[in-house]
Amino acid sequence: MKELKKKIEKYKTQFNREITLIQDKKGLQELRNLFLSRKKGYVSLLFEDFKTLKPEERPEAGKIINELKEYVQTKLQALQEEFSTAKKVEKTYDLTLPGKDIYLGSPHPIVHFQQEIEQIFLTMGFTIEEGPEIETDYYNFEALNFPQHHPARDDWDTLYIKDDLLLRTHTSPVQIRVMEKKKPPIRIIIPGKVFRKETPDPTHLPMFFQVEGLVIDVGITFAHLKGTLEYFLKALFNENIKIRFRPSFFPFTEPSAEVDIECTVCDGKNEDCRVCGGSGWIEILGAGMVDPQVLKNVNIDPERYSGFAFGMGIDRTAMFAFQISDMRNFYENDLRFIRQVLRK
Amino acid sequence: MKISLSWLKQYIDLDISAFELVDTLNNIGLMVDDWEEKENEVILDIETYANRPDTLGHLGVARELAVALGRPLKEQSWPLIELNEKTSDLINIKILDEDLCPRYCGIIVRGVQVGPSPDWLREKIKAIGLSPINNVVDVTNYVLFSTAQPIHAFDLDKLTGRKIIVRKAKKGESLISLEEDTLALSSDMLVIADEVKPVALAGVIGGQETSVSNETQDVFIESAYFDPVSIRKTSKKLGIKTEASYRFERGADESFPPQAALMAASILTQMGGKATKGILDIYSKPRKQKTIVLRNHRVAGLLGLEIQEEFIEETLSKLGFQIERTQKGVWQVKSPPFRVDVEREADLIEEIVRFYGYDKIPAKLPPFETLEPALSPKRKAFQKLRQILFHYGFDEVVNFSFVNQEKEAKLQSGRKPIEIRNPVSSKASILRTTLIGGLLENISWNLNRGAEGVHVFETGNVYFWQSDSCIEQCMLALATTGRVGTTHWQSRNEKTDFFRLKSACEAFMNYLRYDPYVFCEEDHTYFELGHSLSLHFKGEPVGFMGLVRRDILDSYSIEDEVWAAEFKLEMLLEKQAKKFQYRPVTRFPGISRDISFIASQEVTYQKIKAAVEKCSIPYLNQFYIYDRFSGPSIPKGKMSLSLRFVFCHPQRTLLAEEVDALQERIIKTLKAEFNFQLREGGKIDK
Repeated sequence: MKELKKKIEKYKTQFNREITLIQDKKGLQELRNLFLSRKKGYVSLLFEDFKTLKPEERPEAGKIINELKEYVQTKLQALQEEFSTAKKVEKTYDLTLPGKDIYLGSPHPIVHFQQEIEQIFLTMGFTIEEGPEIETDYYNFEALNFPQHHPARDDWDTLYIKDDLLLRTHTSPVQIRVMEKKKPPIRIIIPGKVFRKETPDPTHLPMFFQVEGLVIDVGITFAHLKGTLEYFLKALFNENIKIRFRPSFFPFTEPSAEVDIECTVCDGKNEDCRVCGGSGWIEILGAGMVDPQVLKNVNIDPERYSGFAFGMGIDRTAMFAFQISDMRNFYENDLRFIRQVLRK
Repeated sequence: MKISLSWLKQYIDLDISAFELVDTLNNIGLMVDDWEEKENEVILDIETYANRPDTLGHLGVARELAVALGRPLKEQSWPLIELNEKTSDLINIKILDEDLCPRYCGIIVRGVQVGPSPDWLREKIKAIGLSPINNVVDVTNYVLFSTAQPIHAFDLDKLTGRKIIVRKAKKGESLISLEEDTLALSSDMLVIADEVKPVALAGVIGGQETSVSNETQDVFIESAYFDPVSIRKTSKKLGIKTEASYRFERGADESFPPQAALMAASILTQMGGKATKGILDIYSKPRKQKTIVLRNHRVAGLLGLEIQEEFIEETLSKLGFQIERTQKGVWQVKSPPFRVDVEREADLIEEIVRFYGYDKIPAKLPPFETLEPALSPKRKAFQKLRQILFHYGFDEVVNFSFVNQEKEAKLQSGRKPIEIRNPVSSKASILRTTLIGGLLENISWNLNRGAEGVHVFETGNVYFWQSDSCIEQCMLALATTGRVGTTHWQSRNEKTDFFRLKSACEAFMNYLRYDPYVFCEEDHTYFELGHSLSLHFKGEPVGFMGLVRRDILDSYSIEDEVWAAEFKLEMLLEKQAKKFQYRPVTRFPGISRDISFIASQEVTYQKIKAAVEKCSIPYLNQFYIYDRFSGPSIPKGKMSLSLRFVFCHPQRTLLAEEVDALQERIIKTLKAEFNFQLREGGKIDK
């Protein structure tokens, strides 16, 4: 018993010394293990000694061992709490300073907008086709039902390389090239550069981008044309946009339609709206059922197959979508303009 | 064309608002671009499509409105005050070219007092934005804008021999036009001649000499049909566009010339003139009407909607078509002569749906079974390429395909430029043969507007002649100059250099898995000598990169250095990328060894790399250069190179002794190959 008391005294002194040396939670855990570990902790060892004592000594011995245990636990607990309440890390800099900005390159607005358009058609199962920018008269006009001297050619003033070679005035020649190659069903869009003999001004340029679409299959109807274009325009602009189809004329479609969307700038309420001119509508797409003669030109039987085609100016639509008043902005390549696509 | 509401009301009762009128016209494809409401009058500006010459007059528009609104057209009558003389007594008409002029009608009005028109006519002429001239001219204009049939008035006394001969011009003939221009005629042009000379350019413009003046007593009225192609060619060749040529080249109504002549004569007789008896009408081969078969199931098949047979029959016959049902759901249809655009079943279906209403067609999506993988591997690679370049801080630009010939010549792309025969401007007269010029233009533009650094890329075609063919090749070009990144308080300003450009190029080659590729030191006309590399992919040259020549930069007024690159993108994208294949990641730690050498500056990294690779050191997982410098501490002409070698065994931990032996092999090789001196602890090993 005497020895036990001495031992406890010794442990207590050791504990009091060691606890002052503890710096961190790791040290705390080590000291805890040293005293309270179930197998080899000092307290457990004291209970081993306890078993060797006479029965009459045991109550007192038990009491003093427990007192040591409680003492150690209380002290460790207090220290534990002290460690848990985090010490304030010294602040060395101003957190309100700006973060590091990585300079990311920006897509060109037209290419960016073109890809948005492509994305919508890709979700509808369209594939993307391309074709040459230098075209022959046959693909650009004749195969598309423009006879040699048809006045419709007045609407397309063309840049020529030589008599039979020109810069395509629309992406429609690719329709012909695809129909020559593939048999229906066909479901494609054709984005690309087109060229016209135009003197540059805010709304006309000698080069711009177009996207055309073509669907040919058994049983394709005007209703499908409407459904496809409505889906597209709603996805491109918004779900609630008003769309209008009205009769029009293109040599390669019959019946033909012009597709208008409501002017979202003035909602048709401003008579002097510079975007829609007060009509409340913006002409956005030309479309129609593929002319039977065009199908015959590429050996597709118009009695068996039918289809629709549509075309849209990407620049013009982007101008409307982004409210850009001068088309020339797109090709000046001023980075202050281009980079607006990327970030505010 | 300008359409006046009060003028329309001569043909149809219109008690609807201007707004309803515009809406009705738009719905049937007569697009009203603009309209103006005045007192008791509305002036519409209608966009007429090239295939609808019949709507180039008030009558044609009224005809369409009558069907759309379900109202009748008013009957017109044109009474004449007639003389006993026959027209044929006073004039002789001969057509020498019936292909170009299948029909020619004429009538004479004698005793016309040429002077101002009555008020009603002056108002009409003014309403559509023209100035009244005199009663005869005003009447011809009135007939043209009413019926779309151009007519012409000659001073009868000035027609030598009282003869009208419709023929092609003879070599050397000329004509002084109404506009007082002397027109040199060529033998493919159709003219109206008298006994001795041309008096009018058929269907295009009249002649000054035979025109109606204040002295004119008797007027010969011409009303004819001319071949559209011939009119168009003549008008184009001489650069003359008139209201008449505009209508003839689109195709007039071959049945209408007598009525137009009658109408003009009738109005002139109301103004005091007297008409000769009978309209002279030379028309030897009347056009046969074509029969078109229309099938109801095709109507539904094309439109995606059933339209009642009654509606089809009623609409077409109201529009002037002769329609006859041959069996259930099948009709034979003949177009009215004024509808030169309707020739086929599809054209008829358009007529039906125009009046049925596009808005009544349901919107349906086509059946969407998958046809092909939506995005081709080429396009996927292209999109990835752009993302990589954005990541490396290059902005995308799009330049015109036309360039200035002189500037382009300076670049010496080595590709033979394609000239545009009719360019928009002499400064844009050829197609670009390289993308570099455009990028330099963009750099110059942006530097002039305060940019401190410009890093741009473009993808697009260049164009050139290759023997007799026009070639288009899709290229990728990059250019970089000046400041990199944005100003930040933690970092110092950094300038771009060759390796920034190269890193972007290496990045897309690596991330697109284009393997194997190699750079070679090779000169190119765009770059300063000894300052460029060529890139070879799978053994084929795909492009160049380097420091742009000073004299080129001077021509773009760029003072700073520019590094640029141009690659044959098409060639890259078309080649197969290396497939992703899993390699187990070793679980054992690698051992790395750093070795520093002193070497001649002549030795290139590529050669060192090749030498190391050649000795195929086992377990050498990777190696790279991590330091390179020269300076006072290094002998002249030499440099210090530090290389790191990382060794790894897939199945176990390597022993230090094993790695020592491998390292020794590397050192030995490099020493032998390049005369390297080992540099250890600041000491140079001899």
